Amino acid sequence: MTRSKAGLAAVAVTAAASLVLAGCAQQSNSGPPAGSGAQPAVGFPETPPNPEVPGGKPGGVFRLGITEPTAIDPYNTQESEGQGVEDSLFTGLLEVTPDGEPVPGVATDWSPNDTCDTWTFNLKPGTKFHNGEIVDAAAFKRGWERASIKDSGSEVSYHLDVIKGYDEISSGAATEMSGVNASNPNQLVVTLKNADCEFPLRTIHPVAAPMPVAAGPTSNTAFNDAPIGNGPFKMDGKWNHDQGIRLVRFDDYTAGPKAFLDAIEFTIVSPSNGVQLEYDGFVNGTFDWARMPAPLIAQNRSTYEPQGKWISRKTNATNYFVTGDTTAPLNSVDARKAVSMAIDRNAIAQGVFKGAQVPATSMIPAAFRDVYQEGVCDACTFNLDEAKKLAEKAGLKPGTEINLFYNTGAGHEEWTAAVRQQLEKNLGLVVKYSGVPFNDHLNNLEAPTMSGLNRLAWSADYPTPGNFMIPLMATSSMKLDAQGNVKGNNYSRYSNPEFDALVLKASATKDEAERSKLWQQAEQMSIGRDLALMPMFQRQQFRLVATDRFANINMDFSENPTFDKIFLK
Amino acid sequence: MSSLPPTSGESEAVGTSDPVRSSGSADSARSASAVDAKLPKRRRSGSPGQFRDIWNRYRRNKLALVGTFIVGLLVFLAIFEPILTPFDPFEQNLLNTTAPPDSRHFFGTDVLGRDMFSAIIYGAKLAVIVGVVTVLMSLLVGVVFGAIAGFRGKFWDTLIMRLTDIFLAFPLIIGAILVVRTFGAGITPVIIALVVFGWATTARLMRGQTLALRESEYVEAARSIGASDGRIILRHIMPNAIAPVLVYAFTNIGVVVVAMASLSFLGVGVPANVPEWGRMLSQAYGFIKVPGQSHLWAFPALAICITTLGFAFVADGLRDALDPKLRGGN
Amino acid sequence: MGKFILRRVGQAVIVVLAAILLVYVATYALGDPFASTGDRQVPPEIAAQNRAIFGLDQPLPIQYINYIGNLVTGDLGLDFDQRRPVIDMLGAVVPNTARLALVAILIDVAIGVIAGIIAAVKRYSFADVLVTVVSTVAIGVPTFVIGLGLLAFLSGVGPFPVVPRSFTDQVPWYQEVLLPAFALAIIDAAFVARLMRGSMLEVLRADYIRTARAKGVSERRVIGVHALRNSIIPVVTYVGVSLGTLLGGAIITEAIFQYDGVGYLLFRAIGSNNAPVISAVIVFGVIAYTVLSLIVDILYAFLDPRIRLN
Repeated sequence: MTRSKAGLAAVAVTAAASLVLAGCAQQSNSGPPAGSGAQPAVGFPETPPNPEVPGGKPGGVFRLGITEPTAIDPYNTQESEGQGVEDSLFTGLLEVTPDGEPVPGVATDWSPNDTCDTWTFNLKPGTKFHNGEIVDAAAFKRGWERASIKDSGSEVSYHLDVIKGYDEISSGAATEMSGVNASNPNQLVVTLKNADCEFPLRTIHPVAAPMPVAAGPTSNTAFNDAPIGNGPFKMDGKWNHDQGIRLVRFDDYTAGPKAFLDAIEFTIVSPSNGVQLEYDGFVNGTFDWARMPAPLIAQNRSTYEPQGKWISRKTNATNYFVTGDTTAPLNSVDARKAVSMAIDRNAIAQGVFKGAQVPATSMIPAAFRDVYQEGVCDACTFNLDEAKKLAEKAGLKPGTEINLFYNTGAGHEEWTAAVRQQLEKNLGLVVKYSGVPFNDHLNNLEAPTMSGLNRLAWSADYPTPGNFMIPLMATSSMKLDAQGNVKGNNYSRYSNPEFDALVLKASATKDEAERSKLWQQAEQMSIGRDLALMPMFQRQQFRLVATDRFANINMDFSENPTFDKIFLK
Repeated sequence: MSSLPPTSGESEAVGTSDPVRSSGSADSARSASAVDAKLPKRRRSGSPGQFRDIWNRYRRNKLALVGTFIVGLLVFLAIFEPILTPFDPFEQNLLNTTAPPDSRHFFGTDVLGRDMFSAIIYGAKLAVIVGVVTVLMSLLVGVVFGAIAGFRGKFWDTLIMRLTDIFLAFPLIIGAILVVRTFGAGITPVIIALVVFGWATTARLMRGQTLALRESEYVEAARSIGASDGRIILRHIMPNAIAPVLVYAFTNIGVVVVAMASLSFLGVGVPANVPEWGRMLSQAYGFIKVPGQSHLWAFPALAICITTLGFAFVADGLRDALDPKLRGGN
Repeated sequence: MGKFILRRVGQAVIVVLAAILLVYVATYALGDPFASTGDRQVPPEIAAQNRAIFGLDQPLPIQYINYIGNLVTGDLGLDFDQRRPVIDMLGAVVPNTARLALVAILIDVAIGVIAGIIAAVKRYSFADVLVTVVSTVAIGVPTFVIGLGLLAFLSGVGPFPVVPRSFTDQVPWYQEVLLPAFALAIIDAAFVARLMRGSMLEVLRADYIRTARAKGVSERRVIGVHALRNSIIPVVTYVGVSLGTLLGGAIITEAIFQYDGVGYLLFRAIGSNNAPVISAVIVFGVIAYTVLSLIVDILYAFLDPRIRLN
């Protein structure tokens, strides 16, 4: 009895004491530790691609860890892990090189009409699915319709929405996709809703894979777990959920050069400590390709880079803040630039990410080598004096409230907390800092009240910079509903007719070099001048690879090994 | 009636260990099922001489004294947290992240350069506050329902006992996850969750006590002179029934501390920036095999262990002191 | 006796039905389970379509009735993430959890019973004090701290695999189960040791033991047969309930060791807000616990007739 009274008293006293004692003198926790030198330079350099060596004979088993994919059936393949498997099982019309260049897959060549709204793909005749079925134009039509049809449950079929007839089939009004003509088995003719001179790039997405008759509808779970594709590898048994996936070489592959590896073994690891497991597995010889925990990157680089077992590449994604461009306090360019310049990205990259991510100075990532403009965002560099000046000009006084929202459970807790402290210290802003599950985060973004800074990341679904520019910043991507909610991806509500005209022109430009120039202009305008979004970090990936056992290992566009090229030394 | 049947003759053994069991076992914190079995025959407590006897017995138990010291230390840390922390536990220093312990940062710094020593002390405050508040609230709910069930009997008894069956059928952690996910993360939802799945044991204990007392002579006497039910419960039954319930409640603080840490460890507890021990452990999970970074998980793990051990020792001591028969069976 | 069993079964059914309602409301009241994983963005039209496919556009009571109806026929619906039948996902992991639970119980009974007997028979000896102190300490250390410690220091050492279930290290199941089973067993073993000690001390004072000794039965036989048989009853009931708990999934231990069981399934389902899996696993856990408790109660009533009168 007395015990419990003591307990009650303890709570009361604690509460009271905390109030009284709060604000007592504590040391200031800042500055580098005593005796340490200057901070090392931020980030780790990229490694050049491993040169392709000729030769190689069949053999070898390549082993790696992945987290459980959402799907390996193309109708719903979404993340990098799923794409690694899907890519080996299926060959689309086009394939993509590690540098993001399109190369022939099943199609030998492709060409548009003058207005870029009809595309003709000529197919290699007689290539086969793993069950012996022939891959013809109808197989592509079948695959696209299977994914787009109402009730397919696909979360990625919207990548095909530029094709005529997509709306009808996905709403259930039609059972066929009228824009796809497969009457000639070796020629696929696609009619689009609007001109798109980059349409072939879209077909690189898994959802555009061909399907054999044996696939059946997307509800066919037997096929979901053991897809019959037309790629250089085929399933060995079915997907053993949460355990592993084993692929073996498809010896009748004729859509391209045959693979060398006998098999690929994907061991499925936990998302929570999979990185550590992959690393441990690489060190003890269980895996031939592995990620590593961020604190170990520097040490491993010095160990493995001299041995040639180290891959470091900037990849196709940018981590950024969606800014409320039409709501206070970030509804002026000066305010956005002030906030952006008050954030020390280098300190975060070094202190929190330990160099695993690099500060972004552009929205279009370095993976797009032709279009990448380093430093196009001049406000992405830490500059406290300038930040304070701009803040004053924009009326961003100390004490101004600003939202800083992020989604929980995806590793953003730490670095966003660092941004919060910087804004409070550097500009005296009052940061309303809140993490919510991703669906709530999206709801926040869609609402007309959205303001301040909201974390998001974007990676291109197919290798075109337009996939960064148009969905994120074009007026047409706002898609406001009756309540004023954003239903597209332009959550910032950036709306600039000049920019809209520019991206439209780029999409309708056939010449690649000229198109690249237009994309660059669009970025200079939207990011450089207007800071419509706030680029934060550029994704960089590091891998340990068993180059002592295998030749020709490189990282492909979706961050997976180039399985079809690798051979045993 | 109860999930684990009364073990009559052997009841002491079950009774002794059971509440403590859960203090350590987060996965199977479902202790309570057997507790009500042991208590109905508990003697009335109250006279000063008896308290002295209890204290004399308690003090002979060395582990219990260690436990008392630990609990005292926790309360001390909780109260004086603001002056004991050398740094603001929330303040980051990106120039000095994941630094190993040194003379400035006794426990090193975490992934954002926050001082771990200050964070551990802040965590102690959180643990004490959440532990005590949760237990008090469970007590309130449990005692009221238990007294009603035991005193009114029949319909009320059946209804409340079935209710406790339902809540006891959920493992504490899993039940709490359900609640926290419904109400959102934060300290208040965690407390609510732990109360929702924590009151049932107290209710059963209280019911057992009340049942035994209901038929006692002095309650009969009170009834015969026309005292109301409420008065009988409050004035006659409660004071005599409450002691073992309180002892159980106190020992349960350890369970609550582990449960909160477990929830945070699973990512469904307190917000990410709050220096809570389980949260710190989950942040350190990815560093568990990184050489030179063991301070990230070793200190919070140690803090949790010491806390639960402290409460477990005190619990053991209290039980032994209350029921000398248990020590050696003489 | 029949009446007692009937009453207990009736109670168990009510508990399970009410628990399912609780779970259902809590999981499905969470809101839109689509569009909720990581950085994945699902256009609202598609999310709406999916809601319709899964019947989430109907009122909650109708959804609940459908759910119970399907549950009875063994249909737990499709999971939101990969569209696999939830019953298959559960079916794949239940055997693993059962193995883990059984091995853990085996370990804790073996250690606990032996330690408890020694402590009781050699009362006040060094061994007794040791058992008492070690068990007190072990009970106070949270399972997940034990688990993290074992993982940090022992995985990759000796028979314990670095990467569970990789193609290269195809370790047999008993090798994979060892570490998590130890993590789970330590606390229970401490518990069983205390139970065993207390219960054995009680029995050793009984008249029939004195009689047996007086008749000249060997001490070994007195302890090993007469006393053990009677003192193990509380251990059996404890272990029975403990098994029920473990079958429901040791979420933290399984998550730490990535052990492919019910708890790990739940852990991942929580991360992706996968409502059908969350509710299925919790319902399974409640049923497992309730059924095991029921069995223990009935068994106990057979062993000890006094209970039936209660």
